Amino acid sequence: MSNLSSLGFIVPELVLGGTAVLLFLLSAAAGRRASWQKLVFPALALSGLVVALVILLLFPESGVSGAECSPGGCRLFFGLLASDPLSVFFRLLCIAATIVCVFMSLGSPSLPAENRGEYHGLLLVLAMGMCLLAASNHLLMIYVGLETVSLCSYLLTGWDQRKARSYEAGLKYVLFGGVASGVMLFGMSMLYGLFGDLSLQGLQQALSSTVVLENPAGQWAALVAVVFVLAGLGYKVAAVPFHMWCPDVYEGAPTPFTALLSVGPKAAGFALMLRFFYGIFLAPGDSGNFIAAASVIPWVMIIGIISAITMTIGNFAAIVQNNLKRLLAYSSIAHAGYVLMGVTAGGQDGFEAVSIYMTVYLLMNMGAFAVVSAIDRSANSEEIRVYRGLGRRAPLLGIVLGLFLLSLAGLPPTAGFVGKLYLFSALIHRGGYWFDALAVVGIINSVISLYYYARVLKAMYFERDPGDLPAVNQKSSAAAVATVLAVPTLALGVFWQPLALMARWSASLFH
Amino acid sequence: MPESTLLSWITFVPSIGMGIIGLFLILNPLLKIGKNAMDQLSRVIAVSCSAVSLVLVVFLWLNFDQDNTGIQFVHHLVWIRAFNIEYFMGIDGLSIILVMLTGLVSFIAIIASLPWGISKDDTHHFSRKSVPGYMALILLLESSMFGVFCSLDFFLFYVFWELMLLPMYFLIGIWGGPRREYAAIKFFLYTLAGSVLMLLGMIALYFASNPTTLVDGTPCSHTFNLIKLATENDFSTAGTLLGIAFPRIVFVGLFIGFAVKIPMFPLHTWLPDAHVEAPTPVSVILAGILLKMGIYGILRINFGILPGATVWASSTMAMFGMINIVYAAFVCMAQKDLKKLIAYSSISHMGFCLLAMSSFTTQGITGAVYQMWTHGIISPALFLIAGVIYDRAHHREIEGFGGLAKQMPEYSAMVGLAFMASLGLPGLCGFISEALCFVGAFPIFTALTVISAFGVIITAAYYLWTIQRMFFGPLNEKYKNLLDMNWRERLCLYPLAALIVFLGFYPMPILDLINKTLHQMIQPLARAAGL
Amino acid sequence: MQQFNILWLIPFFPLMGAFVNGAFGKKLQRRFGEKIINVIGVTLPWLSFVIAVFAFIKLRGLSEGEFLSDHLWTWVAVGQFHVDLAFSMDSLSAMMALIVTFVGSLIHVYSIGYMHDDESYWRFFSYLNLFMFSMLTLILADNLLLMFVGWEGVGLCSYLLIGFWYKDLNNAKAGMKAFVVNRIGDFGFLIGFFILFWGLGGSWTANGYHVAGTFSLNFHELPELVAGIGDKLLWGVPIATLVALFFFVGATGKSAQIPLYIWLPDAMAGPTPVSALIHAATMVTAGVYMIARMNFLYILSPAAMTVVAMVGAATALFAATIGCFQNDIKKVLAYSTVSQLGYMFIGVGVGAFWAGSYHLLTHAFFKACLFLGAGSVIMAMHHEQDMRKMGGLGKVMPITRWTYWVACVAISGFPIAAGFFSKDEILWKAFDSGVLLVPGWLPWLLGFVAAGLTSFYMFRSYFLTFTGDLPEAHGHEPEEQRPVVTGVLVMLAAGAVILSFVGLPKLWMGAEPALEQFLAPVFEAAEHLPSAGHGHGTEWIMMLLSVGIAFVGMGSAWWLYRGRSNPLPERLKQRFAGIHRVVYNKYYVDEAYHATAVRGFMGTSRLCSWFDVKVIDGLVNGAGTFTRAFAWIDGAIDKYLVDGLVNLIARMVRFCGARVRRIQTGRLPAYLAGLVTGAVVLVVLTRFLMDLYS
Repeated sequence: MSNLSSLGFIVPELVLGGTAVLLFLLSAAAGRRASWQKLVFPALALSGLVVALVILLLFPESGVSGAECSPGGCRLFFGLLASDPLSVFFRLLCIAATIVCVFMSLGSPSLPAENRGEYHGLLLVLAMGMCLLAASNHLLMIYVGLETVSLCSYLLTGWDQRKARSYEAGLKYVLFGGVASGVMLFGMSMLYGLFGDLSLQGLQQALSSTVVLENPAGQWAALVAVVFVLAGLGYKVAAVPFHMWCPDVYEGAPTPFTALLSVGPKAAGFALMLRFFYGIFLAPGDSGNFIAAASVIPWVMIIGIISAITMTIGNFAAIVQNNLKRLLAYSSIAHAGYVLMGVTAGGQDGFEAVSIYMTVYLLMNMGAFAVVSAIDRSANSEEIRVYRGLGRRAPLLGIVLGLFLLSLAGLPPTAGFVGKLYLFSALIHRGGYWFDALAVVGIINSVISLYYYARVLKAMYFERDPGDLPAVNQKSSAAAVATVLAVPTLALGVFWQPLALMARWSASLFH
Repeated sequence: MPESTLLSWITFVPSIGMGIIGLFLILNPLLKIGKNAMDQLSRVIAVSCSAVSLVLVVFLWLNFDQDNTGIQFVHHLVWIRAFNIEYFMGIDGLSIILVMLTGLVSFIAIIASLPWGISKDDTHHFSRKSVPGYMALILLLESSMFGVFCSLDFFLFYVFWELMLLPMYFLIGIWGGPRREYAAIKFFLYTLAGSVLMLLGMIALYFASNPTTLVDGTPCSHTFNLIKLATENDFSTAGTLLGIAFPRIVFVGLFIGFAVKIPMFPLHTWLPDAHVEAPTPVSVILAGILLKMGIYGILRINFGILPGATVWASSTMAMFGMINIVYAAFVCMAQKDLKKLIAYSSISHMGFCLLAMSSFTTQGITGAVYQMWTHGIISPALFLIAGVIYDRAHHREIEGFGGLAKQMPEYSAMVGLAFMASLGLPGLCGFISEALCFVGAFPIFTALTVISAFGVIITAAYYLWTIQRMFFGPLNEKYKNLLDMNWRERLCLYPLAALIVFLGFYPMPILDLINKTLHQMIQPLARAAGL
Repeated sequence: MQQFNILWLIPFFPLMGAFVNGAFGKKLQRRFGEKIINVIGVTLPWLSFVIAVFAFIKLRGLSEGEFLSDHLWTWVAVGQFHVDLAFSMDSLSAMMALIVTFVGSLIHVYSIGYMHDDESYWRFFSYLNLFMFSMLTLILADNLLLMFVGWEGVGLCSYLLIGFWYKDLNNAKAGMKAFVVNRIGDFGFLIGFFILFWGLGGSWTANGYHVAGTFSLNFHELPELVAGIGDKLLWGVPIATLVALFFFVGATGKSAQIPLYIWLPDAMAGPTPVSALIHAATMVTAGVYMIARMNFLYILSPAAMTVVAMVGAATALFAATIGCFQNDIKKVLAYSTVSQLGYMFIGVGVGAFWAGSYHLLTHAFFKACLFLGAGSVIMAMHHEQDMRKMGGLGKVMPITRWTYWVACVAISGFPIAAGFFSKDEILWKAFDSGVLLVPGWLPWLLGFVAAGLTSFYMFRSYFLTFTGDLPEAHGHEPEEQRPVVTGVLVMLAAGAVILSFVGLPKLWMGAEPALEQFLAPVFEAAEHLPSAGHGHGTEWIMMLLSVGIAFVGMGSAWWLYRGRSNPLPERLKQRFAGIHRVVYNKYYVDEAYHATAVRGFMGTSRLCSWFDVKVIDGLVNGAGTFTRAFAWIDGAIDKYLVDGLVNLIARMVRFCGARVRRIQTGRLPAYLAGLVTGAVVLVVLTRFLMDLYS
């Protein structure tokens, strides 16, 4: 589709970008410490995000231009971007996550009072980047989106210059990110060199027709290329072995941003992963089979193994953590592993599972981080021991956090269970020895994970309040966010029909 | 099948009570209710809600048609259309007695949670510790137990099944004894490990099931409906899973999930810890109802849906049943803690069910189900008894007592009755069920039954030895001013005692409820087993 | 079958008494004293005796083979397993019911005197009534399962009553021993029960069990059905034999036969009326009754009958030998009970079911009399039971003395009292029997020797207790007991004599004894058992022989112990010290059991619990520990190794960064603003130029 007509589909991104620029200019104009910026910038950012969200919701199928699309969605800018249910769904997720983050940031002490303008501006750019990433359909676009997201993340991670921890985290992130994207770029260039095309469709046709894969050298090259790209993606979703940055960055970054970081880029990353692999390897038509090339590049197996290792490593490492934020970081690694099960399973079910799980994960994980940041505000610490007796000191927060943890552990009747249900269903429905085995691994892991979530419950409810802990302010914005997120976390566990329908629609591309 | 919302009411009235308590807690900043008032209020709410449920259960029992082998009191809606999940409540002869049991035992447990007769200076007694939370959780527990026995949709069943873990975890962990944290997490992980296997089995069954229609007539590719899974599907041709024949691996998965709850040797070690640490009413519920869920699940799901695999596994199950009976009885003999002894005796008694139901004879399966019922009224009595002495002496060391019969005659009599019932003395209800179990199992597993019957001797030995050490001989000076049972304890124990005696001489009211359904149920099994 | 709707009252009255006294007795006694307890606890058994008599009369009125029946309700009905809660009375159960209600009621009366001033008077009568209920249920049950209720019920009551004075732990222990040993017997009973039930209704083949036939547990349907059980096998053994033997295991437990007799001597720890009622007159005969009841089964299996007879004979002799050397008067009586029960088993074992039952009847009277006599002596001696510390009591308590003498005569088998006729009938039937796998003279010989010993030790106890001089240095003189006690003694002694008339042998009268005729319908299956066919001459000789041995026994006792003056016994004891010790200590059987069975049992239980805690739970916790350890390693790697690397690089970078810091002002918005404006300017400029060139 031509550029002009494509514009209609990326209005949300344009709005985000525009608002970001506006924010930058305003904050440039405003004095460093103008008192009004505390409220105006968030409000502005929020309005931008909400507008984007609404537009996306109002015109999901066809952009504001009302231009016609082929049923499978349509390619924008001559195939750079794709506007289809999948992208729309994940763009919605990314924007929603950003909105939550903005709310959590209100009056968060882990953010310096000044430069709120830039902070929110960067958040919006990040949101735009995530949207582009989720929609990108072309190696070039993928790289651009990835870098946009990464660069903003680096800055925001190190945002709190008062804390060396935050600073150091940012630096580490930069190093890792740089390496990872470098590797990915190398993979992409190899792909281009091998198959002479950068758009996913082109690659798919090339792969299915080319002679490159007939000699071992070519096969090796292609495999390396795919794996390198996978490395880049894995780094985004924090999958083992590309996860090392994750704990430190999560721990160091300002908690509100950590919340976003643990959800938004992951969501975009998974969307991209689905689009990349299935875009390249899925045979045209509704057969759901892979093209012949998939047999020489055993990416399903690779991702399956990565999934198993990721969840195991994540869970085991989480057991020994005493800092809740760090624990949640490892748990989010484990969850990346769970979602990868869905990616492995693929097909209608797999896509649905990934969509549903990411939605659910957004709610429960951001909720958990919200509680962490609420406690952090009073106790100024994220160690598990400051949670002792929380159930009595702050009943509401205690119950809410308990709910999120149980949801993360995947117990009914919480949304987390629904997510797990879909993931395991996808695997078992896919059938076959390895998929069932992977499901068993996943099951065992979710039992292990309960152990460390229960440790927090234990601290909150079984252990006595030592008495020297400061009172918790249950009225902070973070607490409010947590409470609000708790509602859908429970509600979706009891009745998730609407979500299921949306997820099904999002996966309709691959019918 | 006429629709009726009765079961839904029975199930959710307690959770409504929980909601009310929660509401009060949330609004308390406005209402400014004092702590004591709040405690009293939540007690009242809990008692009245479970009382309402109990009344409804009685109503259910009176209106139950015992000649109808089908499902009754059906409440059937589509729940999650996208996953073909239905809200399907209904009972037959198998589930009704367990629903009755749940209503009765939960009510008694809540009465037992009241602080009447607990000395004022005993401020750390569980019945005085954050009461609203306790009552809310125990009500939630009651709801989920009702739900497990009433739900006929596998998914719904699973949700209730898991829902039950949370309140148990917190009840043991917050209101429990010294090692409560260990016991609670052990229970939690152990049971979850079992039930996630069940989850996989459930999903596998779902995807292997034939297309059918939802209750509103819309066609669906697969189903969770337990009745349809049982009647419209034959999984024996469903290929393999992890390289093993589909029905067998699924059977094993589900069975392990249930066996943890029974609990079956060697998956039983969570039970003694849980019991020892749990407060009395929680032990009452745990032994009285929760253990039955394992057997119920096996009967309802494994037996109902996978008859072929059941026949394949029957002798193994019987073997494990025998081990449960004899092994646990021997372990009882060596116990020093009264509650631990009772816990192991529960394990031993659940073995009877396992042994008997594997025989597929009418007597065996009826005996197994009736054993669930009798054990469901005897073991609560036993744990209440343990609670009585613990509240007074603050320990449960059997050796630490002696000569109590002089000091607490009424209590001693009650203990004697409960122990005799538990060791299967003829004329008390325990005998009927054990006799039926043995009679039913004998023709199929002659040798195993003989060995198991030997367990009855051991049972007598350890119970009598316990009585001797606790109640006979010279009175231990420390306890020469212990008080005999108080009114709360009488209120809890006398109804059970009355039932124990009455059902010993006239068990037919219960047997008539279950007979027809079970006879219907085992026909395919008996045929498959060539009986 | 004749409906008799008040039959259920016979067991019900004592049950009611048990309930009332048990539930309210304590308060009642505190309020109104012992009288009220008597009114309830003693009257009700008499009432059931009255009903039993009614029933008996009604039964006599019926035609041959008819019986009374009273169906209350369906008890258990599951599939083919259908059991009613119903009572029935045929001649055998009528006899038993009369014994139990009459002797039992008498002993209740006696207890008024014996238990006087006991603080738990109420409890005693409650237990005693409960026992009456169980025993009558056992007797009147019309099916095996209901019989089992009574069967274990009496076990429970004996447990409660043996341990009645529970403050002394030994009593409690004796009670527990009784219950557990009985349970072992009950285990056998149950297994027999299962085999019989399924054996009737089907059969075990190579490929599993198959239902074919009718199931029943009703005593009046069983005879026909059992007749057809013949060739069926289980575990390669004929079902009839299996069932008979398993039932006999139950009988050995209940009726104290080898190898399960060990509980009975200890049971003497209970109050003496209990010993008289439960451990002599009624409960211990339940095994005999059960085998007599199942006669139609036993006649199918000569092997089983042989086992029964030989075990009975062995027990009779074995217990008698021990009885000769006991000094505790109740112990003597206990072993004599065991030995007498042995006779009964010889009787039912050789197919002389009526003779066994007859001995049961007579034994009930003279043994009850002996025990109660002993009881009155013990009361007089202020609970001293050692005969060596007694003597000369005959002078001060004549009634006790003479009743005791009559009972001794009866048990020793002198032709003037009932014991002779029953015992002699048994010995003769044994000698004459042709059904056993062993020659008939073998059980006869054992029984014959035992008879001599019986007469010896019984008179030994008599002479030691009642002859010689009163021992001095007692608080106050022993004296005759109150009429409630002596009256009972007299009635029992009288019974022990009078009952001769129901069993006068055919040899004398020419006609079957009255009792044999009365019981005939129950034992008709056993009528045509083969006999060795010895003539009347032999029977006369046997009779004379047994009278003779009785005299020998009494004579030697008279010679050795009369007046306690003869020093010979002491010398003999020195002479054969070794043998004496062994026999005196009951052949160390208890010790042997303890060393093997009990210790093995406890060992197993300790092993199991060790296994449970250390191995199984160890594995569970081990898994947890392993997980945590693995987690720690994993976490460590993640933290130190990887992080260390990263930190290293980070430091280097920061080092370089410090060098180039001064270039940047760190004012991000400025750059961005400049960038944006620049871009805008650029766009505008290009646009302008394009216009210019077009």
